[in-house]
Amino acid sequence: MRYLFFLLILCSLTAGCCTATVQPIGETFRLEDDEERLWQRSLEEERILDNSGLLYRDHDLEGYLNEVARNLQPPEILSRIPFKVLVIKNPYLNAFAFPNGVVYIHTGILARMDNEAQLATLLAHEMTHCTHRHALRALRNLKSKAFGLAPAHQNQTECEGGVDLSVLLGSTGYMAAVTGYSRYLETEADMVGLKLILKAGYDPREAPRLFEHLIGELNEEGIREPFFFGTHPKLRDRIENYGNFLRTQYHADNSGIKNAEIFLAKVHALILDNAFMDLKAGRFCAAERGAKKYLAIKANDPRAYYLLGEISRQRGKEGDTRRARVYYERAIAIEPSYPDPYKAIGLIYYKEGETTLAKTSFESYLSLDPHTPDKAYIKKYLERCN
Amino acid sequence: MKRLLLLFLLFHISACAPWIQGRGLYQSPTHTFTVNIPQDWMRLKANKHLLMSRDGPFLQYILVQQRPINRPFKHTKKKIQRGMLPQEAAGVILDEMSSDRAVFNLSVIGNSPATVDGHEGFRIVFTYRSSEGLEFKTIYYGLIIGETFYSIRYNAAERHYFQKELETFQQVLASFAITEAKVAGEAG
Repeated sequence: MRYLFFLLILCSLTAGCCTATVQPIGETFRLEDDEERLWQRSLEEERILDNSGLLYRDHDLEGYLNEVARNLQPPEILSRIPFKVLVIKNPYLNAFAFPNGVVYIHTGILARMDNEAQLATLLAHEMTHCTHRHALRALRNLKSKAFGLAPAHQNQTECEGGVDLSVLLGSTGYMAAVTGYSRYLETEADMVGLKLILKAGYDPREAPRLFEHLIGELNEEGIREPFFFGTHPKLRDRIENYGNFLRTQYHADNSGIKNAEIFLAKVHALILDNAFMDLKAGRFCAAERGAKKYLAIKANDPRAYYLLGEISRQRGKEGDTRRARVYYERAIAIEPSYPDPYKAIGLIYYKEGETTLAKTSFESYLSLDPHTPDKAYIKKYLERCN
Repeated sequence: MKRLLLLFLLFHISACAPWIQGRGLYQSPTHTFTVNIPQDWMRLKANKHLLMSRDGPFLQYILVQQRPINRPFKHTKKKIQRGMLPQEAAGVILDEMSSDRAVFNLSVIGNSPATVDGHEGFRIVFTYRSSEGLEFKTIYYGLIIGETFYSIRYNAAERHYFQKELETFQQVLASFAITEAKVAGEAG
């Protein structure tokens, strides 16, 4: 099965224009037999993801994402594909869609965006994979090839956070989430998506800005281009494609929707949650950027200052211990009953041999959270401080 | 790490690489630790880590590992560092587990200080579900000695198998002994 599946990947990658007979979904759309099986497999993989504990649940955010998605498509399309947008807890930059209209977005890529126009760009791209039946076209293209084809190269992207999801997904999801479609189909998704956001009234100048943010993050983290762009044309090429399109199709004096305030209000909690995920993954730069972005929206949230303190303390670069103390003290000043900064600053004092300060901090921590799961550690520190 | 080792194991099984009867005292190839392998348990031969099992590694295994500090893990970029408290080291291990996208529904049942061979360390107990939907339970001991991080873990299918060899694991743990030059630089 795995061999057949890899052939599917290779042929979809090496295909140029494939399956001219598969038309985009329109008024006369009817599921074909092989397509129905694809949708059924998608449903099965969707159920696996639903039960995986990986979904980020925020009812208000989901409602907003789905509303933005619905506004991108005409009613006759919405009546034929039951689009649904869900969020996956994953700090890496990825998004993918099953052919039956379910779109998954990682918390990482949502946290990175600035406004609704960038969100719409991403959703429009993913939804185009569905409306233009890219999974079916890729599957049929595979079937039409002889088995003896030698692959030009294997372009199985091993992106950060992408390959791991592959252990959960079946073949349909794997192609959507990890490897992508052929460059031709991905470019089609870009261009059709761009037309969708233009029609919906969004500022299309935000589309290339999404990719510029992403390039910046890749450089910062020193990682290869992740899947969302793996088999896709390179990010720079996509920015150029968008630029060419805008020059010919868009007039600079047109205004367009960005809805930055609305977007950030909807995703601000996710930004902080994702920053904590980045910290767990050891992505200190990304975590710090997320925490500061959150503070720009919600100033004086002690959790964000605590997070900045944890980033500094765990990163351990020169000056970080001093920075961490400042952040913890700020968190305590904002909310004296928030226990975690007391423990954290207590650990710093303890390791520096400032036993009196450590003792005070640990005692405060235990008084605020007497049933904390790490009580045994704290009690041991207090014994030594005494 | 567990997945890598299990894949490595599968490869060796399919290639008829031997599991060998390992009863008795085992000394690590680096001569840094010894541990008793229980009767009726097999260990994977020619492996830099000590992987042993009674009923097959997909049902239960005990894994004894050592790795240098200051090396990032696979799923988190964090490192075990010199001077880390056991609690901090435990945090890195938990972050490694929670960043592994093949580990689902991770639930930490316990996280506390522990002593192994007279050295300070930590003990974590957690459950998780594999991508195949099986529920597993793990007891994970970790300690830092000088420039090396040691771990001894017992992992088993939560239903039936975990309880079955729990006492055996406790005996293995009690037999674990560091034999390298130690104490100097030990984290506490």
